[in-house]
Amino acid sequence: MRRRTFVGAVGGTATIGLAGCLTQENGEGADSNGGDDATGDTDAATDDGTDGTDEETLEGTVTVATYESMVDGTDPAGPWLKDEFGATYPNAELEWTVPEQGLTEYVQRAQNGAGIEADVYLGANIDDLVNIDDNLEAGGLFTELDVERIERADRIRDGLDMGDPHGRVLAYDTGYISLVYDETVIDEPDTFEDLTEPAYEDALLAQNAQTSDPGQAFLLWTIDAFGEDGYLEYWAQLQENGVRVLDSWTDSYDGAYMNEERPMVVSYSTDQVFANMAGHDLSRHQLAFPNDQGYANPEGMAIFEGAEQLDLAYAFLDFALSNDAQAEIAQRNVQFPAVESEYVDLDEEFDEYAHEPPEAVTVGYDELRGNLDGWVDDWARQFASQ
Amino acid sequence: MSRRDRFRGAVDRLSAVGDRVAAVSRLYTAVGSLRSWLEGHALAVLGIGTAAVLAVMLYLPVGVVFVNAGFEDGVPTFTHVADVLTDPFYFGFLADIFAEPFAIGSHLASLVGWVGAISISLSLEYPLSDLGIPLPVPWLGLETPGLRQGLFGFTAYQAGLSTIASVALGLPAAYVLANYEFRGRRTLRSLTILPFVLPGIMVAVGFYAMFGQAGTLNSLLGAVGLGPFAFVETSPLAIVILAHAFYNAPLVARITVAAWESVDRRAVETARSLGASERRAFRDVVVPQLAPAVLTGALLTFIFTFMTFPIVLALGGLQLATVEVWIYDRIQRLDYAEAATLAVLETILSLGLTYAYLRYESAQTGFSQAASPPPKEALFPDLQTALSPRRLAIVGYGLVTLVVFVGPLASLVVGSVTDGGGFTLDHYAFLLERQLEGESFQTLPLPAIRNSLLFAVATLAIAVPMGVVVSVLTARAGRLGTVVDTLAMVPLAVSGIVFGIGLLQGLVFGISLPGGWRFQVTGAVAIVVAHAVAAYPFVTRNVSPLLSGLDPAMVESARALGASRYRALLDVELPLVASGIVAGAAFAFAISIGEFSSTVILASGGESYTMPVAVERYLGRRSGPAIAMGTILLVVTAASFVVVDRVGGRFER
Repeated sequence: MRRRTFVGAVGGTATIGLAGCLTQENGEGADSNGGDDATGDTDAATDDGTDGTDEETLEGTVTVATYESMVDGTDPAGPWLKDEFGATYPNAELEWTVPEQGLTEYVQRAQNGAGIEADVYLGANIDDLVNIDDNLEAGGLFTELDVERIERADRIRDGLDMGDPHGRVLAYDTGYISLVYDETVIDEPDTFEDLTEPAYEDALLAQNAQTSDPGQAFLLWTIDAFGEDGYLEYWAQLQENGVRVLDSWTDSYDGAYMNEERPMVVSYSTDQVFANMAGHDLSRHQLAFPNDQGYANPEGMAIFEGAEQLDLAYAFLDFALSNDAQAEIAQRNVQFPAVESEYVDLDEEFDEYAHEPPEAVTVGYDELRGNLDGWVDDWARQFASQ
Repeated sequence: MSRRDRFRGAVDRLSAVGDRVAAVSRLYTAVGSLRSWLEGHALAVLGIGTAAVLAVMLYLPVGVVFVNAGFEDGVPTFTHVADVLTDPFYFGFLADIFAEPFAIGSHLASLVGWVGAISISLSLEYPLSDLGIPLPVPWLGLETPGLRQGLFGFTAYQAGLSTIASVALGLPAAYVLANYEFRGRRTLRSLTILPFVLPGIMVAVGFYAMFGQAGTLNSLLGAVGLGPFAFVETSPLAIVILAHAFYNAPLVARITVAAWESVDRRAVETARSLGASERRAFRDVVVPQLAPAVLTGALLTFIFTFMTFPIVLALGGLQLATVEVWIYDRIQRLDYAEAATLAVLETILSLGLTYAYLRYESAQTGFSQAASPPPKEALFPDLQTALSPRRLAIVGYGLVTLVVFVGPLASLVVGSVTDGGGFTLDHYAFLLERQLEGESFQTLPLPAIRNSLLFAVATLAIAVPMGVVVSVLTARAGRLGTVVDTLAMVPLAVSGIVFGIGLLQGLVFGISLPGGWRFQVTGAVAIVVAHAVAAYPFVTRNVSPLLSGLDPAMVESARALGASRYRALLDVELPLVASGIVAGAAFAFAISIGEFSSTVILASGGESYTMPVAVERYLGRRSGPAIAMGTILLVVTAASFVVVDRVGGRFER
């Protein structure tokens, strides 16, 4: 008896659930109208120019899309940025949104004609721009920035220009890829060639450039060092010497490296900050900058084409380059600030454990455009050929 | 509010209640006649409901992506498929054959050349010398000239090895759980599928923490003066296969236990009374009743490990890449045509195997009339029995399971309470603080736990009837039934990455309909239905073998006596296959709790995130919080498995 009622009730649930899905409709009209009105109001206000009026008169909600660890990791900068932005612009609010697939999700939305609700994207890399231009039209998705409207834009350090010919992004922080090694097992490698020597046999852990950001950065670094005609040969030597390419930073670092599978891993130059926090012995957290270089991965911010809150979006970009915001982003997210050192005050501890390479290299937009996918694919096929 | 208002409010409510009572009683009469109608048509209604759910939540999203494989700008094309089939990187030596299928002469010539180059030799080898054991073993060397497998070939090869390992590790567990009684047996049976819910990255971290050079196993061995051994480095392929067995051996075990517990023992007794030895009776009577379940477990394992991701790369490295890795890469690079083509080929292969198996399953005519499993022996009744070879083998197997299954899980738990300075509760403090002070846009632990449990219960409620209906409609329905049953297995045979991207493009972005309407599905209901779609095949695959093992005469007599098909199902068949339903329900629950790839897409930007999603979101440069959340996932799931099995147990007997 009991069994029958159970089955009966279950059948009911299934039908109700399905009906719920089918009746959903789109309320397009109302939403976008409201947004347009707000933009109209504030447009007039910013033309006055002065800071004081801006901060009082700007109102509305600016939606900022970003990646997971900006809002959800341990002590991330996101909540601070939201609160402080709200305090600076008392009539405005910052709302975070985290697209599951990162920037690719917006490229797909643009391809599918699905709406984009965000105004700002925080965390675009150079390869993201290439991805946009290869899949949408060149210079697409984001609006060309009017740098005049971002007062603090000239504080950005030389060398952090992200090289976009369409002027869509400004760097707000940067990280460097380097090698982390155990000095009790191996000596510091001075050059890339060293890594192919017997002393470093079965020593190096790297990540899959198809799936992992540091993995792709390290691959591009070797392309910078050996050229697009020479990098596959170099990797063949690395393979010969037993390099292991795992899936993600987490399994190569937290998995393999921290369980002492190998004495060297491709990681970030801020490694000691975390090691120090977790109370690890720093002898296993030494940094190596082969060829005296580190690969820079500047992270940029951009404004979506057709952003509803254009003025607030510009205000946010300027705000993100302010002294306090730069310090908080750097220290909480453990990245390096994008502005010159006179415009940011960092804790001594951060300075002590976060290291910058003597020379930073990056493969620029022009070289990546149209090449990146092929480079990564050739490399991956060389590994996976069975 | 004044007292009078409150009084009036109460009166209003009362009269409203009166109205409602009247309405309910009217409804009741209506329900009464509806119920008798439903009883006549229950199966049809459930079948149509199932088909509708599948159309929206499975075929639509999968179709949105798959269409890219065969169409270019709306025009049908075969070039994508041809490109992949003839690429040696994907299909190895088969690519040549696909390229020129009718050049039989030249293919035969290369076959002859290949066979001619095989050499066989006999020598003494020391395979264990790496572990410091100089044991000579006569070695039959078989040198075959290199034959390029291609990505598909290697993927199938590692899936085959993983399947063998999973069956080898899973069957003894099923044997012990079904034939012996010991304290905690039911709990252990409930916990067998625990590995199933763990996010891949947690399994990888757990495996490194257990088998790494500085891992738990090496510390234990070091304490007795052995090691350290480079378990992971020595053979990446072996460690990947072990990780696959970690996931799938429990699957094989659970399905087989369910079958073993519905064995009709009286047939064994009949065989014995006719003079068959114990071994003979087992081989001729029990094995045929278990074989469909074991093969089902093997089939599912093969399909899962064929589409494995990301565990292979996390433990083994890029040289062990599988097809799914390339699908992921192509999706990331928005090359849908190639991604879809690879995924379609994967699905065809999985469905082909499924069809072949189902032909076999439906050819099995059952004679089982009652679930009367053999009585369970006490595992260790006394010291003398405990030292018998069979009991010692069980103890040995127990040690293996401790290392392979308990080891990585326990190492994860240990990892959640340690950092560079030793013991710490920091990671849990993070979770507590996030719960108490987290912002609305952050991921909080308690809602994640609550959502996971709610979704899992709701998934059960949908997936169990869906699965049972598919079983009932397809069992003994001949070739057509087998085809439908095969198609019903599509959720297992479609790449999880493709399903996720299909949900995103088809249901989250929405599909434009005429008249300015947009059809969109997201949020909690969508998540539950997606989970049910992923879970119901497990119910079907647990129930079908048992159902087809039943003696058809029983249902026929019930029908002849006037019972509706539905009533015959409820009163005759379901009670006999209850152990399969309970096992299927446990899987459905586990699938829902562990599901990640579609949940994360449907929960994006909302508050319907689950525990695995929280684990992924807490993962940053510091893995502690994620591991702590993973541990909570384990504990919560373990507790609910025990409850599910206890509740389910009431239906079993």
